Amino acid sequence: MLRLRRVLLVAAALLATGCAPRGDAVRAAAHGPLYFGDVTPPRANVLRYNNGAEPETIDPGLATGQPDGRLVRTLFEGLTVSDPRTLEPLPGQAYRWERSADGLTCTFHLRPGLRWSDGTPLTARDFVWSWLRVLRPETGAKYGGLLHPVAGAEAFNRGELKDEAKVGLAAPDESTLVVRLAQPTPYFLHLTSLPPCLPAPRHVVERWQERWTLPGHIVSNGAFVLATWRQNDRFELARNPRYWDAGHVRLDRVTAYSIEDLNTATNLYKAGALDWNTSGYVPSPFIPYLRAYSDFRSGPYQAVYFYSISVTRAPFDDVWVRRALNYAVDRNAIARDLLKGTREPWGNLTPRGYPDYRRPPGLSYDPEKARACLARAGYPGGKGFRRIAILFNTSEDHKRIAEAIQAMWTRVLGIPVELQNMEWGSYMQASTALQYDVARRSWIGDYLDPGTFLEIMRTGDGNNRTGWRDPRYDRLLRDAAVELDAARRMEQLAAAESLLLADGPVIPIYHYATAELVKPYVRGVHQNALDTHPLKDIWIDRGWRRGAPPLAGRATPEDRRSSIVRVAGTQPGFAGPPPAGGPRPRRAADGPPGTASR
Amino acid sequence: MTAFVLRRLLLFVPTLWVIATLTFFMVRLAPGGPFNAERDIPQAAREQLMRQYGLDRPLGEQYVTFLANAVRLDFGPSYKFPTRQVREIIAEGFRVSAELGGWALLVAVLLGVPIGVIAALRQNSALDAAAMAAALAGVSVPNFVLGPLLVLVFSLTLYWLPPALWQGPESRVLPVLTLATAYVAYVARLTRAGMLEVLRQDFIRTARAKGLPERRVVFQHALKLGVLPVVSYLGPAAAGLIMGSLVVEQIFAVPGLGRYLVNGAFNRDYTLVMGVVLFYAGFLMALNLLVDVAYAWLDPRVELR
Amino acid sequence: MSALPLARPAVEPDTAPGPPASLWSDAWRRLRRNRVAVPAAFFLAFVSMLALFAPWLSGLADPAAQDLRLGATWPSVAHWFGTDELGRDAFARVVYGGRISLLVGLVGTLVSLVIGVSWGAVAGYAGGKLDELMMRVVDVLYALPNIFLVILLLVFFSRSLLMLFVALGLVQWLTMARIVRGQVLSLKQQTFVEAARALGATDPSIVFRHIVPNTLGPVIVYTTLTVPAVILQEAFLSFLGLGVQPPAASWGTLVSDGARVLALFPWLVLFPGLALSLTLLAFNFLGDGLRDALDPQDRRESA
Repeated sequence: MLRLRRVLLVAAALLATGCAPRGDAVRAAAHGPLYFGDVTPPRANVLRYNNGAEPETIDPGLATGQPDGRLVRTLFEGLTVSDPRTLEPLPGQAYRWERSADGLTCTFHLRPGLRWSDGTPLTARDFVWSWLRVLRPETGAKYGGLLHPVAGAEAFNRGELKDEAKVGLAAPDESTLVVRLAQPTPYFLHLTSLPPCLPAPRHVVERWQERWTLPGHIVSNGAFVLATWRQNDRFELARNPRYWDAGHVRLDRVTAYSIEDLNTATNLYKAGALDWNTSGYVPSPFIPYLRAYSDFRSGPYQAVYFYSISVTRAPFDDVWVRRALNYAVDRNAIARDLLKGTREPWGNLTPRGYPDYRRPPGLSYDPEKARACLARAGYPGGKGFRRIAILFNTSEDHKRIAEAIQAMWTRVLGIPVELQNMEWGSYMQASTALQYDVARRSWIGDYLDPGTFLEIMRTGDGNNRTGWRDPRYDRLLRDAAVELDAARRMEQLAAAESLLLADGPVIPIYHYATAELVKPYVRGVHQNALDTHPLKDIWIDRGWRRGAPPLAGRATPEDRRSSIVRVAGTQPGFAGPPPAGGPRPRRAADGPPGTASR
Repeated sequence: MTAFVLRRLLLFVPTLWVIATLTFFMVRLAPGGPFNAERDIPQAAREQLMRQYGLDRPLGEQYVTFLANAVRLDFGPSYKFPTRQVREIIAEGFRVSAELGGWALLVAVLLGVPIGVIAALRQNSALDAAAMAAALAGVSVPNFVLGPLLVLVFSLTLYWLPPALWQGPESRVLPVLTLATAYVAYVARLTRAGMLEVLRQDFIRTARAKGLPERRVVFQHALKLGVLPVVSYLGPAAAGLIMGSLVVEQIFAVPGLGRYLVNGAFNRDYTLVMGVVLFYAGFLMALNLLVDVAYAWLDPRVELR
Repeated sequence: MSALPLARPAVEPDTAPGPPASLWSDAWRRLRRNRVAVPAAFFLAFVSMLALFAPWLSGLADPAAQDLRLGATWPSVAHWFGTDELGRDAFARVVYGGRISLLVGLVGTLVSLVIGVSWGAVAGYAGGKLDELMMRVVDVLYALPNIFLVILLLVFFSRSLLMLFVALGLVQWLTMARIVRGQVLSLKQQTFVEAARALGATDPSIVFRHIVPNTLGPVIVYTTLTVPAVILQEAFLSFLGLGVQPPAASWGTLVSDGARVLALFPWLVLFPGLALSLTLLAFNFLGDGLRDALDPQDRRESA
């Protein structure tokens, strides 16, 4: 009984003191801003953050997941990089670019003297080779679709076009890359900062084949290089002295932990072992309580949580049934009550944040209308309606929402609903093979354009997974793709979305929000809709308690000076030779930022 | 003895073959495949990957290829982590898992045996009852509750120990304790039962009658036989530790092999799953053999046939 | 599963067979005098009654009734064990969770019992090559990391409650088979078996009519100890997300969900955790008591 008694005692103590975060909040309230746990900066000039689940690969051409992408974009740099606040394309490896009037030709000019981390010169031909590698069917790249706007790329990627010279990529000289596009693709510049468009070192890839990304082999061109890697544990990155802007990289080292469990990551952050717990790794039940802390940050994230309906199955082949299910979902109750306002109720497939896009009115909760729709479909009061199942993959969050929606449908429509919780492999199989009734889905945008969401519902798209098809919808998307007038294009996309919402193959539920914990001494982590954070701009501010407001993003000149002094003083092992071509002014002040057409 | 070991080693081959065959077909028949992703993979890429891994061949042919390679301990690259050979993943992960499990087993024996001995010597006393009740309580609390509880108290409230990660000796404490608790309890109960049985026997009575000090009776004569049940329990305990480590590795972000077993199955990472299952099966069999040999060595009454 | 092998040396194979039927009343008397086993049995009876009659208990809230606006609240007069994040009454959830946990424990054990007893009895009685083969199968399955077997079964054959019973039972029968075989090996030499054979009884009737009933002692003890092992196993599967389908929840589901919000809503792990742990404890105490009552060696000692 001893142990049991101890457990009881601890439990009693917990009950008495209340929950940990709240307890801390009360204690710290007297001393100004609250921070969640330890706020002692690390001894070295190093950033320790949680990169999330173990990345499948750090090959830029093959990376798909968010943890993979975060590392890949730290190790490699594309033609452009996205501004951490506005997501505007900024000069990266290319210092300027031009776009033809018809929008079909992009000419990129690379910075002079670019080198890989092993000293090999990096030229425009590296980009041509890397992009073709991603497109070549033999590579088996899962994300090749992002390069399809390039002329001939789609056919080449499918294996229909064999001659790579017919793909619209050319390097007339070492520092010029000319890209011909199949369609105007206004968001093309955004794409050039994404993993599949990052360059891979041909000489290393050809020598080591699929093992070229291992430490010791890997050569990269970004702000950091890979030093060590421990499986399922961490990546250690060091500053890349040959990076063109190495003079402005402020961290000596980065430790990217591969922690999959949300509670574990948050515990480590609280204990001061992590400086940054990235978005997606804060357990959602904690978010309402963390909002009291100054080191918790949240903002809209370009992603939507929705349910999809397998429309080829009876009774979902009836649009009135789909509408009934849609109207019977109380998004407000889910977002505001169940999720405690940590998410925004959402009735559209496209998220917020596209300034020129006029979103059609979203779907909303209307029990009367829902019942009327169901009656119109021939099931008044739910009579005769078969038992349907909500499919979701194992996760505490998905479960709670499914339980809530199950109760809503039963209450509002009077139909029998059961839940189907599957582990990942079975869930994927059931949802792609359309062997489900209603399935949990979510979609994260790749770039800032409604097209990144609407494209998935195109007839036969691999991500459609509803069996829904509508020639009018497809035609609107096709028209939009070739439309040169930006305003007209947005109208066509909006028309497509309202068509989609009226036909109801998807049930939007909520708009995602980022939720991350950033220690007050970590500067330069900016919140943005794509949740992308170039580590190059991040630095550790030892003197964070003096002066500067805790969450100030941009480094002040004063801050930077102190940081550079420390860089020179500590960690000689990581301080490389001065960057080729000497320190350059910051990117923002660099050469003319091209003619980004938006 | 040598003949016994050789015969058992020979039996490994058909046993592993049965396990390999069983798991191969179970994994393959499970719904889904390794190349289903939330974000759809283009058809051409999927076909290429299937070709690359030989998944486009008939299942029978794949099975033969798999067996032929498995004999050479070559399971191929993981599907999910294509830069890594399954062999490397196992080697790196098992080092950590073995350390975690080894510590846990050591703690279980070092704490469990003394508790069991004391309980046996004071049979039916309040101390005995308390020790055994505590032992039972230890097995009645699931480790996925014990782990977070320990973290909450020692890492997040007292700030004594790191809440997770596998770096430095202090990071070992909580995961090892979480994993060991249930086994401390088992070892204590087994030791108590074993000791009670031995203490009843005639040679102990004789030893006492001869006037040997109780200390020598217990430690020189009784203990050696009394811990025999514990020794025979080490085999199953190792199997149990593997399961326990799935939980502990997740809660404490320990980069061991346990998580690969479950995640490999969920992701349909065929090669990884097959490699890990066969590895664990071989490991458990070897351990059981070792336990049998140790048992015979400790107990002269047992003859290995 | 060998994770929690609750077999004690006293009921391991090759020990003496159970007591003859004439000693059952003796064992019963000994059990009744046990200061721990009797309260444990009463506790289990109470918990079982609560679980069994839960749907007819007036005053017990509907475990599925949600109140999203209410959310998670501390224990109160209205909700003895508090409410969960969907505003459901945690007391009702614990009571209904007991239905599932106990059902899984009992049925899973029953499956293991049927397979294990038949397997062990046949192997022990047949002897020779068949015995060798059957025990080799047991050895093979012992070596398999059997949690993996369970995962595969649950993945492959969908996640019904029935599958959970079968999967858990399938990995628990191994020890039972070994125990029964050991018993049978020594029983079949005894005179009453000879007598039955002389009277012309067939092999199946000898095994299942005469031998199996005589292995009852150790089997009962081991069965009592298997139930908590199966319940704990189900809890482990719930932690992996492979437990029963929501919105139904076993104690394992409640506890593993609760452990994730331990720092926020401690009552969500405390009460189901207590229910789970106390039940496991009670089963173990009862099993220990039964073993003491049925173990001939102990009887000799105290006589």
